Amino acid sequence: MSVGTSRLAATLTDASPASLAGGVAALALLSLAAVTQPGLFVDNAIGGLVYGMQLVMVALGLALILGLMGVVNFAHGALFMLGAYFSYQVVGAWGLPFWVALVVVPLAVGVVGVVMEMTVLRPLYGQQPVIGLLATFGLTLMAEEATRSVWGAAPLSFSVPPALATSTDLGVTQVGTFRLFAVAVSALAVLAVYLLITRSEFGLTVRAGVQDGEMTEFLGANLPIRFTAMFFLGAAIAGLGGVLRGAEFGMGLSMAQQFVILAFVVVVVGGVGSLFGSVIAGVLIAEAQFLTPTVLSSLAMVTGVEAIAVPGVRGIVPYVVMIVVLLVRPRGLFGEEGFLE
Amino acid sequence: MTASDADGSVDAARTVERPDGGTVESDEETEAVVETPLGPLVARLWPYRVPIGLFALVVFLRPVVAHPWFLGFEQIATTMLVWMLFVAAWNLLFGFTGLLSFGHAMFFGFGMYGVAIAMSRLDLPFLVGAVGGVVLAAVVGTLLGRLIVEKGEIYFAMLTLAVGQAVYFMVNRDPYGLTGGSNGLTGTTLPPWIETFRGEKTLTLLPEFANDFYYLVAAVFLLCMLALWQLLRSPFGQTLIAIRENEPLARAMGVDTTRYKIAAFTASSALAAVAGVLLELNDGAASLATFDVLTSGDAVLMAILGGVNYFFGPITGVFVWFGAEDYLTDFTLLQLPLAEYPLVTLDVSGILQFWRFGLGAIFVLVVLLSPKDGVYGLLRTGITRAYHRARGADE
Repeated sequence: MSVGTSRLAATLTDASPASLAGGVAALALLSLAAVTQPGLFVDNAIGGLVYGMQLVMVALGLALILGLMGVVNFAHGALFMLGAYFSYQVVGAWGLPFWVALVVVPLAVGVVGVVMEMTVLRPLYGQQPVIGLLATFGLTLMAEEATRSVWGAAPLSFSVPPALATSTDLGVTQVGTFRLFAVAVSALAVLAVYLLITRSEFGLTVRAGVQDGEMTEFLGANLPIRFTAMFFLGAAIAGLGGVLRGAEFGMGLSMAQQFVILAFVVVVVGGVGSLFGSVIAGVLIAEAQFLTPTVLSSLAMVTGVEAIAVPGVRGIVPYVVMIVVLLVRPRGLFGEEGFLE
Repeated sequence: MTASDADGSVDAARTVERPDGGTVESDEETEAVVETPLGPLVARLWPYRVPIGLFALVVFLRPVVAHPWFLGFEQIATTMLVWMLFVAAWNLLFGFTGLLSFGHAMFFGFGMYGVAIAMSRLDLPFLVGAVGGVVLAAVVGTLLGRLIVEKGEIYFAMLTLAVGQAVYFMVNRDPYGLTGGSNGLTGTTLPPWIETFRGEKTLTLLPEFANDFYYLVAAVFLLCMLALWQLLRSPFGQTLIAIRENEPLARAMGVDTTRYKIAAFTASSALAAVAGVLLELNDGAASLATFDVLTSGDAVLMAILGGVNYFFGPITGVFVWFGAEDYLTDFTLLQLPLAEYPLVTLDVSGILQFWRFGLGAIFVLVVLLSPKDGVYGLLRTGITRAYHRARGADE
């Protein structure tokens, strides 16, 4: 990832002294928490990593489709939700092994995504992005109602395979094996998609098609099929995220909108148009979300002021991060200037 | 007389062809108005068709929805008026300024919780709470507008959504025991001059003049909508429309578009908060669900369904939405062709429970086919065409 690291270096060198000071302060707070409550700290760090990778899987698809086709796919959260419900159907209702769901469900969600792209989104390419946002918002409503009619409104869950239901000893704390497994799977998937977009010829032609569609087609690339394939990829990775999320936490109807909003926060913080930024921002935001309560409680312990440990601060952290980042760097951490503005 | 000019808000843009495929409004058409038999009277009243329409709406809404052929009960008319005000406030931003806000539930909730918190937690009079909620909404609207109004349309939409979510979390956290968390606020949340008798609200404010709660809501609704209408036909409102149509051009003409957008955002937030105050009075409680992103989403759906480029679009949308919700969920058996002479009888209770699916599908279709017109736009086009055909046949 030499491109990514050089970009990271560039971002660091033109960061303002204020943001550098903020970074140093954050590091100091984190090490304070790590020293005073090591078990809780590692627990939350891994929780943040699990959640962050799931967030990245939704955000990556969102960023792909936004960056390539200029369509804000609000229905991406619905694809994530479908991934969870499909895996419930495969594992919980049909009793097939979890490993089958892990392979089949992303493919099925990818097919749903392709149908969505061919029927609704294709006429929207090149139109105002707001129109796409509205149309896919309607699609989310439809997906939620359809899910409610099939699986009901009550939250569902299924059990993970026994091999993964154990816990692993990490010295300071015990961590569920499934969480480590989820991190590994999502990291592999994200890496694969990232390499496919940035390194393969397929990714190259698609990116060329975005720059100059006519010229790319003259050179022999079938762009509509490639765009559809890209959409399949984005939907499938969101579906895979849904499987992992569903296996760990169960599924409910609210996860569609909840995740798509957070995913958009991630894309905005990372910078629209930068996949690398989405990956970094996703992990960053989830870690901030999980570590803030720990940091605050350590601070409260050290200073003796109980009021610092605000309960439920986690929910508000992503939005605070986003507002701060947008005020300091309006185009996000790694965003291209002038994109969608 | 032509119905193609039934929209007060596009009066000044008479000779402008709108890029979204709207009608070309020309002066010849309005001059033809005077020549019809009803000409002089209609022509004199024509500039005031929006206030007249609003007044007629308020007068006829309750009898229409209470008719046994339609919904059959009266209370929903009050709720409809509240939502019409809320969605119209939202549409000041999207339909007339071109800013898509996905967090408007926040301002709706500020009005609602302003009253509820003042009355049940702080023992303040109703008016203090109501004014406080509206002022808070206006202040937040201004500050938030300053922060995000220039961020590009998608960023704006998602940032309003995110801020709305942040406020939702805060209200859910029950800061200082003020908001009641997920339980909301119930109990002593109604001012003493509202009395509830078997779910019917009555006013003891001016007993000899009006003791019907509906008329209070209707009066506030009329006032706010007339204010909105005045706002839209003023130079200010026309500038907003110019910004929606072509922002770079508006800026090139010397309009400080940022200032206008912030002002529109402030006005829209304050109006939404007024609707929230009315909703609190109507429900007698403040509920967390008001702050939910779904409430903002419903407003978006209703307005687009009705037609966002028209003054009466959001009103139509709310009417259709609430009408569909209560009318459709009422059915358990679909008997065709008539309930008295059924030939085909279908059990539809299982399907109609999921009426939002159909509404979502219609919404997607509307967005794909003609995102600015909606039901009101389609009706207006249809009626205009029919009218012209009928008049052509006469001559």
